[in-house]
Order: sequence, then C-alpha cells, then structure tokens
Amino acid sequence: MGGAKTDLELIKNGKRIDGRKFDELRPIKIEVGVLKRADGSCFLEWGKNKVLAAVYGPRECFPRHTQNSYKAKLTYRYNMAPFSVDDRKRPGPDRRSTEISKVSREALEKVVFLEYFPRTAINVFTEVLQADAGTRCVALTAASVALADAGIPMRDIIVACAAGKVEDEIVLDLCQEEDNFGSADLPIAISPRTGQIHLMQMDGILDEEEFKKAFDMATKGCLEVHEMQKKALKEKYEKIGEVYGNE
Amino acid sequence: METSEIVWEIKRDSIRKMIESGKRSDGRALDEYRKIEFLENYVPKAQGSCLVKLGDTQVLVGVKMDIGEPYPDSPDRGNLSTSCELVPLASPDFSAGPPDEESIETARVVDRGIRESKMIDFEKLCIAEGEKVWTVMVDIHVLDHDGNLIDAASLASVKALLDAYLPKLEDDKLIYTEKGDKLPVKEKPVSSTFASINGKSILDPSYEEERVMDSKFTIVTTENGEICAIQKSGSGPYKREDVEQMIEMALKRGKEIRKQF
Amino acid sequence: MKEIVVPGDKVDGKVESYVFKEGNSVYSMVLGVMDDREGYGRIVPLNGKYFPQVEDYVVGVVTDVKRGGYVLDINSPYDAFLASRRRYNNGEVIFAKVGDVSEVRNVSLTMDKQLYDGELMEIMAVKIPRVIGKKNSMVMLIKEKTKTDIYVGRNGRIWLKGGDIDKAKRAILKIEKEAHTDGLTDRITEFLK
Repeated sequence: MGGAKTDLELIKNGKRIDGRKFDELRPIKIEVGVLKRADGSCFLEWGKNKVLAAVYGPRECFPRHTQNSYKAKLTYRYNMAPFSVDDRKRPGPDRRSTEISKVSREALEKVVFLEYFPRTAINVFTEVLQADAGTRCVALTAASVALADAGIPMRDIIVACAAGKVEDEIVLDLCQEEDNFGSADLPIAISPRTGQIHLMQMDGILDEEEFKKAFDMATKGCLEVHEMQKKALKEKYEKIGEVYGNE
Repeated sequence: METSEIVWEIKRDSIRKMIESGKRSDGRALDEYRKIEFLENYVPKAQGSCLVKLGDTQVLVGVKMDIGEPYPDSPDRGNLSTSCELVPLASPDFSAGPPDEESIETARVVDRGIRESKMIDFEKLCIAEGEKVWTVMVDIHVLDHDGNLIDAASLASVKALLDAYLPKLEDDKLIYTEKGDKLPVKEKPVSSTFASINGKSILDPSYEEERVMDSKFTIVTTENGEICAIQKSGSGPYKREDVEQMIEMALKRGKEIRKQF
Repeated sequence: MKEIVVPGDKVDGKVESYVFKEGNSVYSMVLGVMDDREGYGRIVPLNGKYFPQVEDYVVGVVTDVKRGGYVLDINSPYDAFLASRRRYNNGEVIFAKVGDVSEVRNVSLTMDKQLYDGELMEIMAVKIPRVIGKKNSMVMLIKEKTKTDIYVGRNGRIWLKGGDIDKAKRAILKIEKEAHTDGLTDRITEFLK
C-alpha cells in the first residue's frame, strides 16, 4: 500500500490488470476434508492464492492452567510457508502473522459455540502455501469451512473478502500488483446470515464515500464466496449419498 | 484424533503381533511402499515445487533460489540449504515453535541425500568466482503426517529440484517472474526408510507403525547403485545381517521408485 | 436424498437438537444430515468428538488409579471418573454407564463391567447410532451372522471377541462409511451373508 509508483497500467478501458471487472472476484476453488490427521480441513485456491486450513478439537487444553472452566479456548495460527512468497520468507512467526492470527481468532470467537466445551481447546491452523494478496481473507474463509467440517457448532459460517482502491477506482478482491501499487485495502469478515462484521482492517486512504462503496463491494463479495463455502460442504457429503444409492 | 499413551499400548500389542505373523494392518507386504503420487509444480510461484502423497502422508516442498556469497572454502560453487517445518496442522502431536529435533533430523537427512549423491552441479551455479553464486533453498513443509516423513520429503525434494528453473538474471537484477536456465541436476537419489518391529524390518512405515516400532533406518541410494546417506533413528539396536538386508532391499526398491520420477 | 445442513441454515421450528434460536427462527449449529423420518425433524451431525451424555454406555480404558476409583480415557476431550471398589489396572477395558456430567464437564461413570481379552476398535462417535440401529437391530444382526461378542460404546469405541471378528469389523467400518445413506440395512445384510 501507499500508492508506490509503477509503470504498470493497473486500470485500462474499464478492465483491471488481470482482465477483471471492478466488482469481479478471482476464480475460487474449495475442497473439504483433505487431511487425514486433522479433525476438519479445507484447501482453498483463490486466484493464485493456495491456502490450507485445519482444525483440531475440541481437545484437552494444555497447559492445564490455561484452561477456562466455562468455555473452550480458541487459538488461531496464520503461517506462511517459506516458498509462498517471491522473496523467501524465513520460517516462523513474524509480527505480521501474529497480528493476522489475533484478528482472525477474534473474528471467530463469537461465532463458535465455545461455551459448549468448557476446559477444552479448539486449535485452528492456516498455512499459506502460495501467496497472491488477500491471504488473510482466504485463510479465514478456509478456516470457517474447516471448523464446519470438524463438526464444531457455530452460529454461521463466516466469510472474508477485501475491496480496495486502485487508481481512483474502488475494486473488489485486489490481486498482488493491485495490493502493491494501490492506495487502499479493506479486508472484512462477516456473518452472512446477520450481516454482522467480525473482522475489519484498513490501510491506505479512503474518504467516506469511497469507504461505503468499498464496504458494500466487499460485503457483496463475501456473500458470493459464502455460497461457494456452503456448496463445497454439501457436495462432499452429497457425493457419498449418490454412490450408495437411495431407498 | 489424539489418543492417550495407555490406549496406544493396547494398539501396540495387536500391531506388533500382526507384524510378527508377516502382516500389516493395511494389507501391505513387509517390503511394500504405499501408493506414491506426485503433484508437480504445486506452487508455480516458487522456482520448483512438488507435493508428494505417500499413502496418506502429504509433504510439500518448495525450492527458492537467490543470489548470495559463496562459502570461503568453495568460492566457485553454489550453495544448498534444506529446512523442514513440521507445522501443527499436520498432526495432533506437532506444536508451533522453533524446529524440534525431528524436523531438524528430517531436513538434514534429506539434505545429505541430495548433497552426497552430487545431484546438483554446484560448479555450474557459480556466477562470479569468490563473489556471487546461486543459493538453492529447499523448504520442506509437512502437511499431513501418516508416517515416513523422510521418504516423502525426499521424494518431493528430488522431484522439485528435477523440475526447477533458476530465475532470470538480467544486469544483476533477479526477475522471479521469468524463467532462466534449468537447475543443473544429475542423479536421482531415492530414500528408503524401514521401521524395526520385533526384529522385522518393514518398509515405509505408517504413523501407527512408527508409533509402536523399536527404531527406524533410512538408506539413500543413487542411480549408480551406490549408497550416499544412512541414518539410524531411534534407540532400538540392529544386527549386522539386518542392516545388510535393508541395504539390499533399499537398492532394489530404490530402482523401482526412481522410475516414477 | 437426505438434505445436508450447515451451521447457520434455517430449519423447521420442530427440530430440537443441534439447533439454536435467534428471534423467531431456528437454525442448525452443525454440518449434518436432516433426518425427517417418523414425522419429526432431526439433525444428525456428520462429524464431531464424543461428548458424554447421562445414560450413555461407553467403552473406556483405565489410565490412572486414584483413591476410591479410576480415571478412564473415554475417547473424548473429557476424561471420566469411575468410583468403584473393584480392582482394575491401567490399560484394562471397562464397559460403563455415564451417571453424571457436571457443568464443567466432570464425568462420573457407574455400573462398570470389565471386558477381558477381545479387540478394541474406534470409529467416529457420530456414526455409532447407526451401528446400534433401531432397538439394537443392527448390532444384533452383526452378532448373529458373525457369532462375535460385541459391546458398542456411544463414545465411538467397540469391543469385539470371538466369532468371525474380521467380518464383524469390516461390517462396522462399512456402516461408518455409509452411515447417512439410505438402504444401508439391506446392504449390510447382503454383506454379512
């Protein structure tokens, strides 16, 4: 962010650098239950992003003294593989991953029925295998599906999406180049059923009008992605039903 | 799902008994590998990558390259570094934090296999003697642990290196989005890991089998029919005949696996 | 085709378990199958750990000996306590009933019976009702056809002894895989022939 200078033509003839319309999402593919060991999992491809989310729990909470007698302890770890970005990233958490982990966990805390599982832990892990802008939204969207796959009770399947400003235009779902050279980025996560906001961050500059426009656009994007989340979850089990026939 | 140690004791007895009668719980023979699947170029942004599925074990390797200084004792050769992350999503037993001894051992054994087999032609990776050379960084990311991480990591690393391209170098600037030359490689090392249970050696142990084994033995072999790395892992001791038998099996099975590259 | 529901899906007001109310509407809490045979709607979760409920029978393993009783691993995020005068050792398999579950999920077991020798298998706890069947019909079918002694724990653990144990295990794994589909009883009967 910060509107660095570039020779790239980010917007040309009403189309973006990757050919998309202003309110168009990148292509998305969602796979449910892809890991053997995890209790729930989801692999999400979103544009060139590739993210794997997994859930363990509810399980015994260690160390014991961190247990909460009234509800489950939710943890969320966002991590990037060293080869996921252009300049190899040293393994291990950095300040950015720590911040993303925190706000993502907070997005889920009021959605998961934590009070049903006192003294336990629910651990969410997301690994970015290939990054191309918007990874925190991809990761949280995948984590939501993984939680549902694990059978963890929730009020809704939350979904995340970002909108931003590129060369005076408000656009949906920034890609890498737009993120590098754009002037604002607004990632949000909502509960599609209620419209309530569970995650919101912004960096860059937007006036009130622009903010509203970006927020509306991101919300629409979220609802579109949510349909795909539901479809992926239902399809996994509907397929099994087809194979074994009907009465 | 996590299982307490005591419940594992119950499983341990039945698995060990089965092995004694020559059977494995998934129906495999004692010297049989699980199905191996290579998903090539899994991370197109990296200079090389491969996701290997060895049965239900899934390991993703990414190869990145950068320009760096050569080591003082090898001014005309490029560098290789290998690291491994056992990320917590891969198993209920893994926790976040600095690499533990298992991830370090995995990285170092895979590294030895690549290095000692002379798979990468390091001299061809010299750009300016004493000043600039290519550094090849192999990062192993374990995604699903159902046993035998070393062999899965080795398969993925070798395949990723076989398919890797150096980034384009133009006027001292690295352009990651464009492909340069292919990474100069010769040799295809193959790693074969055996678990020892009650004196019997079983090839390609699953997570369960590793949990109840006495120890593990890895042998890395080359296309030339040589041994380039060995690692005994775990405390159970071996008899000499057993080691020789495993070496024979590793050379034989290694040949078959190599065809899959 | 049975309907699959996900967390947040609106369901019929009659559905009672695995749902929550918001305003005048009732919503599913989990990823599950909507089972509306017998007139009433019911959500059967497709995944999830075992959570002890009073009156459940479970198959546990002794993991600790305490004063006045034993701690049992019941394949749940929660351990269970069995107050018993009988003598048990670590690693022994016990069939018992859940007597009480406190607010902080302290689980007490009662009516303990030791299961000797035999084999232990684990499947997803959510599939156990299908293994038991209506009025025990499914488990009795398997016992009859394989002559295997079987104790089914609501916690996903099943203890088997004798008879054609292999066939019994495979039948159970088949039920686990196809649990939420129709026509299962017929297919299992066919399989056990």
